Amino acid sequence: MFGYVLPSEPRLSEEDKAQFRAAYCGLCRVLGERHGPAAPFILNYDFTFLSILLWPPALEETCCRACIAHPIRGREYLPSNPALELAADCSIILAWWQMQDALTDPGGGKIKYRALSGLLEGAYERARACRPAFDSATREQLARLRELELARCGTMDEPADTFARLLAGVSAEVEDPLRGRILEQLLYHLGRWIYLVDAADDLEEDFSSGSYNPLIGRFRLDSGTLTEEAKETLALSLDHSIRLMAAAFELWDFGRWSGIIRSTVYEGLFLVGKSVLERTFHAGRRPWSAPGRNKEKL
Amino acid sequence: MTDPYEVLNVPSTATDDEVKKAYHALARKYHPDNYHDNPLADLAQEKMKEVNAAYDAIQRERSGRTSAGYAQSYGTAYQTRQSGYQQQYQDTSEESRILHQVRWSVMMGGNLDQAERMLAQVSEQSRNGEWYFLMGQVCYRRGWVDEARRYYQTACAKDPGNGEYRQALDNVSSRGSAYRPNGYGMSSTCGGHLCGPLACSCLLCNPGYWLCCCPF
Repeated sequence: MFGYVLPSEPRLSEEDKAQFRAAYCGLCRVLGERHGPAAPFILNYDFTFLSILLWPPALEETCCRACIAHPIRGREYLPSNPALELAADCSIILAWWQMQDALTDPGGGKIKYRALSGLLEGAYERARACRPAFDSATREQLARLRELELARCGTMDEPADTFARLLAGVSAEVEDPLRGRILEQLLYHLGRWIYLVDAADDLEEDFSSGSYNPLIGRFRLDSGTLTEEAKETLALSLDHSIRLMAAAFELWDFGRWSGIIRSTVYEGLFLVGKSVLERTFHAGRRPWSAPGRNKEKL
Repeated sequence: MTDPYEVLNVPSTATDDEVKKAYHALARKYHPDNYHDNPLADLAQEKMKEVNAAYDAIQRERSGRTSAGYAQSYGTAYQTRQSGYQQQYQDTSEESRILHQVRWSVMMGGNLDQAERMLAQVSEQSRNGEWYFLMGQVCYRRGWVDEARRYYQTACAKDPGNGEYRQALDNVSSRGSAYRPNGYGMSSTCGGHLCGPLACSCLLCNPGYWLCCCPF
């Protein structure tokens, strides 16, 4: 479900890149500090992007410390703040949500999720205690999704709405009402986009394992691939959500994070969506499998 | 009052041309077309007013006269936008009264769940083009563009001569730029740059860092 929200790297300045890394490492630290040593397992770019969206206007100085992944040279990271804590708590709950969702699917690969669930149970309990409202909203939407799945609902907008509402719910924890409104819209469409892109990405697997996938019902598919027409229709929905994210983004001054958010919303998401529809995404998503990639270094 | 140069994001030493260019870029960004039927349209309108006022202030300061020019033409676009929704309902049956109410409520940014419940009261056989169009509007306002498109298609099939339905369908069927705020322009076709060196530097070059990378 996660791993699709990427900034378009050529659009980032050196400063942006350093800042993105510092946010990534900052979130990793907060996850570890708040939720125990297993929590950083869930870290990904999507959650980093979430914390960037929630970041308070003032930007702190970066700190540098060694960590388990960089024991010798250490890494620059941004110190904790309430937004980072919020992002960390919500990330744990969302990751838990995703794992429970995967466990109820009839498909294979459950051992991985069971093991992770076991590891993260304590972290989830802590996150849940910190954000009871977000947790209950998550459960509610998960139950709604279950119902839609059981009814083999023939639309893609309704199931996408469950995940979209879930993500939009994070904005309820933002203090400034104006900012909260803008973030609600931005996060709603981010959630919707993630859900639909994930559905397209998993389509083949879901089709062969018999798991629920909204695109099968929506396009009445009799195979695990989308027809050209279906792709075009799905692209309309994906692009529309991106445009609404961009329209929301333009209404708030995200300060020094603007470059990263702009490159994600105006280019990164379009490129990811395009490569998912063209079935070329996994190569880009896991660059370590491509020979020669590891030689690249900033 | 906020510094008008700050609003337009130009230095006070900027030439007239630079000011004009900055103003045009912002006016394009917050143009009503980009926020048509958007729940945040009021905020965009505020932004537009701010940008217009700033441009007017700079024009006045520089030329010593009151300028009407561009600022007003963009400013009124929000008011004229909704005139297309004015439609007379001659028929006064219960069904048409509901449709009329829903149209008004959706147009004014009212509660969408309530609008949907009201529409559900209309019996299956009296669901005309207007009913499908309004269902499409409810979906569209929620950001459910796929459902909206399907309802608009039915609305157009039931009432092929209706320009409003046709335009709504065209709007959601094109991947064109009408809704696209002013960003980078069209995205390039190159997917090869996706998080290449960046991912590498964050995650992959250091043995052991895979620990911190998303395992699913």
